[in-house]
Amino acid sequence: MVPMAEPRETHNQKPGGKLTRRQLAAAVSASAVLLAQPATAQPPAAPLPQNPDEELKAARDQNRQSAEQLAKFSLPMATEPAVHFQA
Amino acid sequence: MAVTIPDDIFFASITELNERLRKKEFSAVELAKAFSDRVERLGPKYNALALSLRDHARRTAKDVDGDIKRDRLRGPLQGIPFGAKDLLAFPKQPTTWGAKPYAAQVFDYTATVLSKLEKTGSILTSKLAMVELAGGPSYRYASASLTGPGLNPWDTTRWSGGSSSGSGIAVAAGLVTFALGSETSGSILTPSAFCGVTGLRPTYGLVSRYGAMALCWTLDKIGPMCRSAEDCGLVLHAIAGSDHNDPASAGKSFYYAPSFARNLKELRIGFAPVDFDEWAEPSARPDFAKALDTIRSLGVQVTEAKLPEFPYGPVIGAIVSTEAASIFEPLIQSGRVNELADQKQIAGLKAGLEIPAKDYLKAMRIRSLIQEAFRDLLSDVDVLLAPSRTTPAPKITQPLDRPLNDRPAPKERGLTALIPAGNLAGLPALSLPCGFADGMPMGIQLVGRPFAENTLLSIGKAFQERTDWHNRRPPV
Repeated sequence: MVPMAEPRETHNQKPGGKLTRRQLAAAVSASAVLLAQPATAQPPAAPLPQNPDEELKAARDQNRQSAEQLAKFSLPMATEPAVHFQA
Repeated sequence: MAVTIPDDIFFASITELNERLRKKEFSAVELAKAFSDRVERLGPKYNALALSLRDHARRTAKDVDGDIKRDRLRGPLQGIPFGAKDLLAFPKQPTTWGAKPYAAQVFDYTATVLSKLEKTGSILTSKLAMVELAGGPSYRYASASLTGPGLNPWDTTRWSGGSSSGSGIAVAAGLVTFALGSETSGSILTPSAFCGVTGLRPTYGLVSRYGAMALCWTLDKIGPMCRSAEDCGLVLHAIAGSDHNDPASAGKSFYYAPSFARNLKELRIGFAPVDFDEWAEPSARPDFAKALDTIRSLGVQVTEAKLPEFPYGPVIGAIVSTEAASIFEPLIQSGRVNELADQKQIAGLKAGLEIPAKDYLKAMRIRSLIQEAFRDLLSDVDVLLAPSRTTPAPKITQPLDRPLNDRPAPKERGLTALIPAGNLAGLPALSLPCGFADGMPMGIQLVGRPFAENTLLSIGKAFQERTDWHNRRPPV
């Protein structure tokens, strides 16, 4: 597994292109700079976790954000998972 | 009198080496010794070597020389030195999975792919370094390995790519003639692109994974990393095929048959201009443009394509995290997971145990739709074409989970999610060296229908007949 997501799929980006609260705060304080950038400018990267607890929290946040994005995706009820048991 | 093996031999193709062995320009023992010397001398310099198998190589080579002497010719791989990612079981020797908790692990059996190669007379000279646990759910730094960060032979301040890091380095630096790597999502294509070698990710189920470390049962594949598309075809021919020991085995064989490949003029190749014009690093765009021109010059029909809209990142993230956490649950519960080198990987494995079944199943249900959507897409075009990576290899100290540049993201997504998407759909892919950016190799990837490896290889072979990127050598 390669961790290098292409830029659009940054781990710190909220579903639907929304910013996290931390990113929003940074964006408001730097609004003048932000306004000068194209609409698709990448959000500022969140600071790196500094210890194992922060790291675990970041991993859980990541899983939660993924779950939120999966939940938004509507599926036909008949769609079966991509695994098949064979007798 | 001892024969001196010329330097060119370390970068020769499989076919050329095999011909020279048959002509008895040198013996298999002499060749194996030269490659063993080289991998032991240069492998550690790039953190590429997990274990030298010099004694095994010498014994096998002696048998090969006996066979050649008696005209018992076994095909193009006979006598060819190769290396294997250190997640493949080889009896009575450590198989570390690139991870400290497994540093002393020894199996008493041989992975199917290594048994198959042994039958061809090819010579396993070395186990090659890798990112710990093939990357697990994710990792942040290139240093996430028992052997340290894979150092790129083109510039040792940069990463080789992973998780098949030693395999990419060893082929690029001429430490082996070919290597085996594995891919769950990008682990063959990325080091192939970053190191400037040709890598083939086979269709899911075509190559047996028996004896290979499992990271994610529904995504893991084993494939060749070589100097050329032709070499990839020869190796895949040897390692593909049904295996009752692998529950995911598709029961299919592969015969490398370039002479029976479809006429290139009949093929439709889909690509997204935004990948090459906007997503690609500006310094890479000139060579990417030339690569597109070369593809067009093959006579294929080139058309624009776009990926179906799916949340590829969250889908593959949920699947890999859940399956990896289940596989490594004993490691996590024992606390030995904390011995891993990368803090992000440790946390990702722990958090993976907490993912609810509903999220995993939702991801796997979306995956069914992804597979269906790709069936439709690949009925319009035969092959998808995109940069293997849009940026050159990053510096080894750079966090890999942060954007590699601060350029604004283009509005269109293009085919930038082709690595997770192609893996989720189980599709084969071929990465071909196609130029340089900032002095580092770049690659393009071709993705085709399930079991259409011959189509990808025929395009790759034709591309490499018109270019020489695959013959470039790093300053070893």
